[in-house]
Amino acid sequence: MKVNHYLKGIFALIILIVFSGCESKLYEDPENTQYNADIDFTQSEDMILPLIGAYQKFQSRGWEQIPLISVRGDDVNAGGLGDQQDFAETDKFNYNKDYWMYNSLWQTMYVDMVDINVQIEQIELYRDNGASSQLANQYIAEAKTLKAFLLFQVSRVWGKVFIPEGTDVLQWPLRDKDEVMQYISNLMDEAIPDLLSIHPNKREDIKGGVTKYTALSVKALSNLELKNYQEVANATEKIIQSNAFKLEPDYYQLFKKPGKLNDENILEFQYSDFGQGTGTNISHLFAFYGPQNWTPAITGAGSGWGFYEPSLKYIKFMLDRNETVRLETTVLFTDRGINEIKSDPSYATLPSWISNTTRDGDVINDYSRALFSSGKFYLPSVQLTEGRTDYGTSKNYTCIRYSEILLMYAEALTQGATGTVMTADQAVNTVRLRASLNTISGVTNAQVMDEKFAELATEWGTRYYDMIRLGNLNELSYDGRAFSEDRTYLPYPQAQVDLSDVLKEEVSN
Amino acid sequence: MKSKQKLLFLFIFVFSFTYSQEMVVSGTVISSEDNYALPGVSVMNQETNKGASTDFDGKYTIKATKGDILEFSSLGFQIVRITVENASTINVSMLTDREALDEIVVVGYGTQKKADLTSAIVTVDAKDIVKTPTGQVMQALQGKVSGLQVISSGSPGDSPTVRLRGVGSFPGTGNSNPLYVVDGMFYDNIDFVNTSDIESFSVLKDASASAIYGVRAANGVILITTKSGKFNKLTEVNYSTYSGFQVAQNVLKMANTEQFVTLAYESGSQPDIDNVLSAMQRYGRSRINPNVPNVNTDWYKEVLRPALIYSHDLNISSGSETASYSLGANYFSQEGILRMKNEYERFNVRASLDIKANKWLTVGGNIIFSNATKYDDEPGAWNQAYFAVPILPVFDPLNTTATPTAYANAKDIGFRGGQNPFTTLDFNDHRSRIKKTIANFYAQIDLIPEKLSFKTTYNHNYISINRRDVALPYDIGNGVNRLESRLAKSTTTVSNQIWDNILTYTNSFGDHNLTVMGGTSFRDESTEGHTGVGFNFPTDSEKTWYLNFTEQDTREASDFGSREYGLSYFGRFTYNFKEKYLLYGTMRADGTRKYQEKWGYFPAVGLGWVLSKEDFFPESTTLNYLKIRAGWGRLGNDSVGASDGANTTQFIVTAINDQETTGSITTSDFAYLSWEYAEEFNFGLTGKLFDSRLSLEADYYIKDTKNAVIPILRPIIGGSVRRNFGIIRNTGLEMSFDWNDQISEDLSYNISTNFATLKNEARNLSGQEYIDGGSAEFRQRTYVGESLFEFYGTEVAGVYQNDAEITADPTAQDEIANGRSIIPGDFKYKDQNNDGVIDGDDRVLLGSYLPSFTYGINLGINYKNFEFTTSMFGQTGNKVLNRKRGEIIFTQGLNSDADFAINRWHGEGTTNSYPSSQGIRKGWNQKLSNFYVEDGSFFRIQNIQIAYNLKSKNLFGLDIPETRIYFTADRPFSFFSYNGFNPDVANGVDTQNYPTPSTYTIGVNIKI
Repeated sequence: MKVNHYLKGIFALIILIVFSGCESKLYEDPENTQYNADIDFTQSEDMILPLIGAYQKFQSRGWEQIPLISVRGDDVNAGGLGDQQDFAETDKFNYNKDYWMYNSLWQTMYVDMVDINVQIEQIELYRDNGASSQLANQYIAEAKTLKAFLLFQVSRVWGKVFIPEGTDVLQWPLRDKDEVMQYISNLMDEAIPDLLSIHPNKREDIKGGVTKYTALSVKALSNLELKNYQEVANATEKIIQSNAFKLEPDYYQLFKKPGKLNDENILEFQYSDFGQGTGTNISHLFAFYGPQNWTPAITGAGSGWGFYEPSLKYIKFMLDRNETVRLETTVLFTDRGINEIKSDPSYATLPSWISNTTRDGDVINDYSRALFSSGKFYLPSVQLTEGRTDYGTSKNYTCIRYSEILLMYAEALTQGATGTVMTADQAVNTVRLRASLNTISGVTNAQVMDEKFAELATEWGTRYYDMIRLGNLNELSYDGRAFSEDRTYLPYPQAQVDLSDVLKEEVSN
Repeated sequence: MKSKQKLLFLFIFVFSFTYSQEMVVSGTVISSEDNYALPGVSVMNQETNKGASTDFDGKYTIKATKGDILEFSSLGFQIVRITVENASTINVSMLTDREALDEIVVVGYGTQKKADLTSAIVTVDAKDIVKTPTGQVMQALQGKVSGLQVISSGSPGDSPTVRLRGVGSFPGTGNSNPLYVVDGMFYDNIDFVNTSDIESFSVLKDASASAIYGVRAANGVILITTKSGKFNKLTEVNYSTYSGFQVAQNVLKMANTEQFVTLAYESGSQPDIDNVLSAMQRYGRSRINPNVPNVNTDWYKEVLRPALIYSHDLNISSGSETASYSLGANYFSQEGILRMKNEYERFNVRASLDIKANKWLTVGGNIIFSNATKYDDEPGAWNQAYFAVPILPVFDPLNTTATPTAYANAKDIGFRGGQNPFTTLDFNDHRSRIKKTIANFYAQIDLIPEKLSFKTTYNHNYISINRRDVALPYDIGNGVNRLESRLAKSTTTVSNQIWDNILTYTNSFGDHNLTVMGGTSFRDESTEGHTGVGFNFPTDSEKTWYLNFTEQDTREASDFGSREYGLSYFGRFTYNFKEKYLLYGTMRADGTRKYQEKWGYFPAVGLGWVLSKEDFFPESTTLNYLKIRAGWGRLGNDSVGASDGANTTQFIVTAINDQETTGSITTSDFAYLSWEYAEEFNFGLTGKLFDSRLSLEADYYIKDTKNAVIPILRPIIGGSVRRNFGIIRNTGLEMSFDWNDQISEDLSYNISTNFATLKNEARNLSGQEYIDGGSAEFRQRTYVGESLFEFYGTEVAGVYQNDAEITADPTAQDEIANGRSIIPGDFKYKDQNNDGVIDGDDRVLLGSYLPSFTYGINLGINYKNFEFTTSMFGQTGNKVLNRKRGEIIFTQGLNSDADFAINRWHGEGTTNSYPSSQGIRKGWNQKLSNFYVEDGSFFRIQNIQIAYNLKSKNLFGLDIPETRIYFTADRPFSFFSYNGFNPDVANGVDTQNYPTPSTYTIGVNIKI
């Protein structure tokens, strides 16, 4: 019996000893984890990583965002009939603050702005740990410019919005549109000295990235909203003076794959399938803009959703001007659409080049959602990488073009500003010559605005915001629409009002 | 539950004969309650290990020598042991279990006598579990235990959602699954457990019972022990099988072509009408009604199929004086009712061995090996079948370029998408091969016999999951295609170990009965795995579904892994005085690597008073037993994901100049969390009435989750971040009644009912008035003082019937003044704040997805050899968001359910609760309102079983072993008003819910 007792005791003791050894396990570091603090900020060459992150955020735009920014002008209609009714209602200036697109645009734009701010802080950390201060300044200036472009769009849509300064959203001030535009202009003044004075496509590290001229363009845009025409003239003049930019002779291809990072482009969202039929594809959903029914030259190429239809008003305006390449590039015609134009006796005979077949051989068939399709977001099926079928795969989305700079310059001059680099006539004629139009002289502000209409239609709502700024509201009341000044801005998304006391107070006032 | 023989009460009739050598002992075994003969009682000579069983008249014969001990055992009766004296006839009267109240209940790290319990523990009879033909144990528990909500997931092999006593953790941050402890091992998922392998099943409902499991116990604990052999028991062989089929129940009726076309015309939307016209052009006109296309597809009918289910199960167990074993094998197979490769197959083998090595040492082990193959459904198909238009056929012979099958494409008739769910069903394949090994070994040392024992147990749970997801190429034209085949493979290995050491001391000092248990537990949980993805491989044969065959430059690989350690010290103290005053306490200290704060402490106490043992308690046949009890405990919840506690950085790729360019993104905010814990009070009552024929359990609880981790919606930038902000309270009353009666020798019956109430309430949201959840379009909101995540929207007051009504209504006029149209057939909303405008301020809470009242009814009748049992289950008070209908906000012109098609407004006076076809396409009518939030009450016949028992008979000259033949109808009927397959939706949002199948099986059990 005694032996048994010893055995029992030894047994228990062994267990006790082994068990007490387990406790140290609790204090071991977790596996398969890496904290931000683990990043080695002394690796100065990695300072570009957060900047690339900022570009990634900037470029990751959902399909509904740019259309919502752009749809309200007289250049373009919602299209897509029978689908996304509140998008169509928005086009008719009937707003629904509960509509998901409003909230989606708001919060994705702002979340990307706060993320850009965070990446700026990361760049600072590299600087603090020995990276080149000058390079850090340049990277930060780039990120600020990206943020400014997003904020500019948000304020054009909603007017009074939050200024995203810092990473604590609760501290962001809600400011009137003019203050926001002034903030953007000042932010660009901060950025400009730190940026490179070259064409974005001449950059070697980030080709197509932000340079001094991008910031100047954003500055010009924001001052245009403020009607600070002299500032517009000053900023655009510097861009023109640089001689870094020139208009692409082939207007049609400018919006296709050959136009990627073109000399005319100042800012683009870059997308790519990297020339591979499979694998990574960083893309934008261009299908939204595409014709819903087509017979592509390349069998199997996917069609679009049939939204975003150039307006009949715009087409007739272009026909009146005997426009060719710009009309061809902006509008894809269906037979039904052509007949609709012809049903107006003044347009009973159309130029022979107008057809439902594009120059690249894609046939746009009739579909009930729209009469026309957007040409500037169309990628001919022959340009698709073999193996890719999604509409518009690997096409870039243009944000700012040099022709807009020229026309802004002309607009500022015709509004009384002074500029020495060229005359308003010269600026407008540069654009007209590229469009195979004759030159004009003694341009008026009205002529500049017509030129902008013709040149920039369906791009970023430029037309809508121009008409608002000039108080030319009658232009917006077309095709049975009735615009009034109180419809200028979208209402704040209800989901945002629910979450913000500041907005709640703003709405109740 | 088998029981030991304390307070044993037996009658022995001994007739005096005097033989000293081996003799034949015979006799009759009867039930003490009614003096009727008991057939099938096992009689075992413990010396010779030979046994016999009683015949239909309760008679037995067995060889024995004087001094031998005979053991009489039968399910539901206490074991009787009798020493053979001189008499050759031994008649035995056996006591039923429920009379004795001496039932042993499995509790955390030990057992307790049911009579000594002070907490809310419910045991479920293993016999009741096997009545439900299912591969998922918890499925069988639906409606059986008050306060336990089980929501079946539908697809074969998927585990149901289980909630015990409401939702204690904020949905989405921590899970609400209870902790499953199978043979001492912790699990989140018990899909490997075969229902017929279960020996005992305990649900620890309240905190005082489950606090011994500390940090893992916040959502309650379910203890399962699997079968093991019994010492001194004759060999028993059990074979059971069933097979049958499943059919979808309550299939949602969709609009047919006639109805769809009517809706399209009434919508006034030209594109919708054009689509109908192009369908007629493409597919021809119906000969019956030439104004509609010659197609009328019932998509649900097309995607559903009857599905088979069957099971084979073999168990052998035996036990001698020093060793016992139990061996089993079973095979379960179930097809899904979705017409695709959707099935589940599981083969389990198990062995359990216990050996009394010497007088003080017992060792044993238990191994279960489970080998399952599961083909998951493709849930999107349910949603597609809802929206697919009836004017689209399944196949389209005109679609000649389609590969590999000429499926019809809705884009060809003008719709935005391809719609056809068959591309989803045919060209996806999700296979998981799941292998689980569960092993535990123990050694128990009796340090002081019957008083002090020490047990050390090592558990290992080894899981290997090989998952293969295949997306096959197809092209049905017009851009509806998948041109690249995609293959994703992952291998996950889980290796969890638990090492428990437990010291138990039991003693009685006069009227003082004491048990003290102390233990330690070490937990090591590791998961590791890798995934690989590749594109474009030969798809014709499964033989080439390997990454080796994919294009080399498209292959990507990654891995993952984590390891958590836990160390715990725990103890339990139970004491009673004269089995009248009960005292109970537990304490657990949990250490974890998961949080910065390493140690958490979880105490619990319980008190009980058996009033019926008091002298002043009137002796009565009406009220036989009464105990009141109360308990309190604190529980931890570590299902909340570990907090980052700091910004994290991840690498991303973007396109710069057509080059893949790497960058990094650092998060803007992070979760910073401390422990989430729950505290619960439980007050209970246990009673037996009317000669113990009626037993009653009642419990009332208040459970507060403190420091609840809640996602805070971020203003301006969207998304959310987690914070320890809230207090969530669940309160409820749970009652169960169980009535058993024997009317005559041939007829007995039992009825049991249970019900539970539940009130779920956010008590504190850290000063915030409310927290938003759901999505912007389908808002759910949690207000302080209200249930979590209630649906939040406008209230429909009616439908505008005519222009006069619109003119008279200021809210409609305001809308019109804002440039929108309001016409008859549009909703009229309740202007909650009477400001003449319908906007966000007019939204109100529209109800909770949690049922406030659940009930179950079980009925059993035995007549001679027939057995009839049925169980029913129902709930009320919950709402379901019919998001399928609500998604018209995203896409329209697609199909509607028949309920809407029939009841839509189509002229003055037609309805005051449905909008018109034109109306439902307008934003005004698409706001989340009580039109989309429906009543989720239901009542379901859960199970009906009719069985015939053949007791060892000689039939046609053959010895027929004890056999039971039965027919089961599982969930054959459900009654509800909701427009969907099933209002039993886990989170109350119905987008793509696998329908509940009804299962019909016949089965046989044979016992030798």
